[in-house]
Amino acid sequence: MAVPGLRHHREDARGRGLNDTGIQNIQGNHACAVAAVAAGCRFFAGYPITPSSEIAERISVELPKAGGTFVQMEDEIASMAAVIGASAGGIKAMTATSGPGFSLKQENLGYAAGAEIPCVIVDVMRGGPSTGMPTRPAQGDFMQSRWGTHGDHACIVLAPWSVKEIYEQTVRAFNLSETLRVPVIVLYDEVIGHLVETLDPGSVDTGEITTRKWAGGDPAQYRPYACGEDDIPPMARPGDGYRSHTTGLTHAENGFPSQDPTTVDRVARRVLGKLARHNDLVEQVDCYDLDGAQVLIATCGITARAAKSALRLLQDKGIAAGLFRPVTLWPFPEESYREAARGKQQILVPEMNAGQLIYEIQRLTPPGVPVAGFNRLDGEPITPRQIAERVEELLNHD
Amino acid sequence: MTDVPSAEFNIRDYLRTELFPHFMCPGCGHGIALRALLWALHELGISKDNLAVVSGIGCSGRVGAYIDANTFHTTHGRPLAFATGLKLARPDLKVVVLTGDGDCLAIGGNHLIHACRRNLNITCLLLNNEVYGMTGGQVSPTTTEARYTTTTPSGNHEPAFDACKLAEAAGAGFVGREMTLQTPALKNLVKEGMSHNGFAFIEVLSDCTEIYGRKNDLGESPEMILAQKAEFRSKDYGMERDEVFQPRSLATGVLSRNDHEEYTAAYRKHVLSKASS
Amino acid sequence: MTGLQIRFSGSGGQGLQLAAKILGHAAMLDGKSIAFSQAYEPTARGGLSRADLIVGGGEIDYPLVTALDYVVILDDVAVTASDGLLSSASTALVDVERVTKQPGGGPEVVALRLIGTAREAGNVRAANIVSLGALAARAGIAGHDCLVEAIRQSVRKEFVAFNLEALERGRALLEAPAEKPAPLGACR
Repeated sequence: MAVPGLRHHREDARGRGLNDTGIQNIQGNHACAVAAVAAGCRFFAGYPITPSSEIAERISVELPKAGGTFVQMEDEIASMAAVIGASAGGIKAMTATSGPGFSLKQENLGYAAGAEIPCVIVDVMRGGPSTGMPTRPAQGDFMQSRWGTHGDHACIVLAPWSVKEIYEQTVRAFNLSETLRVPVIVLYDEVIGHLVETLDPGSVDTGEITTRKWAGGDPAQYRPYACGEDDIPPMARPGDGYRSHTTGLTHAENGFPSQDPTTVDRVARRVLGKLARHNDLVEQVDCYDLDGAQVLIATCGITARAAKSALRLLQDKGIAAGLFRPVTLWPFPEESYREAARGKQQILVPEMNAGQLIYEIQRLTPPGVPVAGFNRLDGEPITPRQIAERVEELLNHD
Repeated sequence: MTDVPSAEFNIRDYLRTELFPHFMCPGCGHGIALRALLWALHELGISKDNLAVVSGIGCSGRVGAYIDANTFHTTHGRPLAFATGLKLARPDLKVVVLTGDGDCLAIGGNHLIHACRRNLNITCLLLNNEVYGMTGGQVSPTTTEARYTTTTPSGNHEPAFDACKLAEAAGAGFVGREMTLQTPALKNLVKEGMSHNGFAFIEVLSDCTEIYGRKNDLGESPEMILAQKAEFRSKDYGMERDEVFQPRSLATGVLSRNDHEEYTAAYRKHVLSKASS
Repeated sequence: MTGLQIRFSGSGGQGLQLAAKILGHAAMLDGKSIAFSQAYEPTARGGLSRADLIVGGGEIDYPLVTALDYVVILDDVAVTASDGLLSSASTALVDVERVTKQPGGGPEVVALRLIGTAREAGNVRAANIVSLGALAARAGIAGHDCLVEAIRQSVRKEFVAFNLEALERGRALLEAPAEKPAPLGACR
C-alpha cells in the first residue's frame, strides 16, 4: 500500500533545511514542533487548522526521525482523545490547534484534568468567534484556555512572546505536565506562531527534561491515585503489572468510581490544590522597569512585546512605566502581580480581545487604583505607539 | 489477583470481584458479552497485564471496569479515538474496545468509520441493545422502527443502522455479528476477531430487559434472549431478509474480512523506515 | 533593541517572500538576529504581497515593523500598503516600470530598473534578487559573502548561478547609479 505524497513531503523537508539543528531562522510554529520532540514528545495527533497547521506539518517530519508517531485524526475531538490514549500508554504526547478546534478538544481536556493524564495542547489564537479571521491574530482564548472545559479542574497555561520562548515554554510544558500530571496549554497568537526569528536551539536553557513518576513496588499494594507528600500520584504504565482502572468519573484513590462525599471532596481538593502546592515550579513572570514606575502595563504574547517597546517611547516623554508579563498565564501569578502593582497609579491592560485579562487584573488590583483596557478587535496587532498614546491619554485625564 | 489463570476457564480469574455487586440490571445481555470476551481471552492465552480495555460512556462503558486488566473508561463516543492513540503509542498491548450503539454509532460514528479505514489492530465489541439505557431509555441509531423509547413516545420513526455493513464499507479488516443467546459462538467470533491482524468489528446483539424490554412489552430476559433466535440467523442461511416472518432479520457470524495492511505495519514500512535520523 | 526595518512589497508571485527570507538568512549568517513576518492572506498571484524583516544585533523588542528604514516596491498595488510606516528618514527603492505612484510619508525615492534588469538577465522573475542586490548595496545589512552563501543555501542548485548574477546586477544598479532616476510615472 503506497502512502501518497510521502516522497514529496520528504523533499519539501530537505528543501527547507529541516535537518539544521544549529542557529537558524525558524518560524514559531516550527520551533514548537522541534521543541516538543526535544522535550521527549513521541506522539502527536492533530487536525489541520489555521494558524497552527505548521506545527503538525513540521512534527510529521520530526517525529518519525525520533521513532515517534504522527497521526492526523478525523477531527479535533479524536486528536485530543488519541493524545490522552497515547499518554495513558506512557508516551509523552501533544496536539495543536486554534480557537474553534480548541473548543472541540475541551471535553477531553476535562478528562485529562480529571484523570490526571499528562498532555500538552497548543492553541495558536486567531480572530474569533467561529471561523472569524483564520489568518489574523487575536488573543481571544485567554479565558477559554483556563475555563473552556467543564467543572472545577486544574490546568496550566503558558503564554510565550517570541519564537525562542515558544521553544522554551513548549519544553517546559512537557516538564510541568509530566511532573504534575496536569494538562498544559501553550497559548500564543498568530503573530508569534508565524513569526520567523533567529534561534539557536542549542543555546536555549530548557533545564532538565523530566518524565512522570512511574508506579513501583508491589502491584497488589498499588492504588493509582494514592500519593505522598507531593500530592502527585505515581502513574502505572500498562504492561508493568499494575492493571489499574482509569475513569472520567469521580474516583477514589483506588481508581474506581466513587460518589462518597468525603472521598470525592478529598480527591478533588488534592487535584485542585496540587498546582498551588508546586507554585515554585508553575509560576513564571517577566517584569521590566517596575521600580519607580507610575504606570504598570500588564499583558502577554505579541502585545507584551509592543508594550516593552512602548516603555521606551514613554521614557522619552518622561513617563515612567513598567511591564508585568505573566509567562505562566494560568494559574494567574497573583502574588507576583500584587507585588508588581504596588505603588502604581495607573494600570493598563492592552489585549487583542474585548477585555479578558483585565478581569483578572481588576480582581487583583488594590481598590482606588484605576485599571484601564486597550482593546483591538480588528485582527491587527496592537502597536507600541498605540500603547504609549493610551498611557499618555490616561495620565492626561488625571 | 495473579496474572496466571488456571487452565480451565474460570471467569473469576479475569474479574475484579472486589467491585461486586456489579451495576448491570438483572437480565442485561452485557454480562453475557463480557463472559464471552473473557472466555475468548482465556482461550487465546492473552496476558491480563498486556491487555488494555477501552470503553466509552453508557452501560457498555461501565462493563470494562470489571475486567482485571489495564482498563480505561473514557468519554462518550471517544473510546476508538482514545484506543487509536494508545495502540499507536503501545503496539505491544492487546487493545479491546467496548462500546455501545449510542457511543459507537451516534456520537462516536465518525471515529468508527475512521478506525475501520485505518485498520489498526484493535478489537471493537459493539454491545448493541438498541437503546440509551444509562440515561433512561432514549432512542438510539439501532432502535428497531416503531419501538417505543422515552424520546419516541409514538414509536420510533427513524430507520436503524446496519453497523456491520457500515464497518465493512469503511474498510474494517474483520466484521462479524453474534447474539448473546449463542455464547460459545460469540466467544469463537471474538477469538477470530482478536486473531485477525487488523481492525476487528464485532456487533454483539445484546438486550436491555429493564428499560427497553419493559417499555415495549418484550417480556423478561429469557423471552428477550430467546426472541433473538427467531429474529437473527446465521449468514449461512443467506443474506436476504425474510420480510414475512423475520422483519428484523440480521445475519450473524463472520460477515466480511479483508487483507488490508495493518496500520502500525504500514506506518513502520512507509514512514518510520524512510525517516532519516 | 529596535533594529533596521525593511520591507519587500509588490504583487503576489514576484518572489518577495523569498527575497526577504534570503536577506534574513544572510543576516543570520552574518551574526545578526532577525524577525521576519509576512502578510498571511489567501492570495497567491496578483494581490498585495509584503514581507517584513527586522535586522538587529540582539533580541528584537517588537518584531513587527513600525517605521521602515527601507522599502522595496515592485508594483503599484503595494504603494499605499506602507502608508504610515514611511517618513523622510526612509528610503524607497521602486521599480521604474511598475510603480507610477508616489509613496506617502516623504521617503527618499530611488527609482531603479529592477524588473527590466531581471528581464535583461534572462528571467523577469529574478526581479526579487535584483532588488535584494540593490538593497544590500544601499543598506549593507549583511556582508556580500553572507548574501552569496544565503542564496546558495536557499535556491535550487541549478538556479544558484543565475541568482548570483541577478544579485550582482542588482548591486551594480546602485553602485553605479549612472542615469538620474526618471520622474515617477514618466516611463509608462
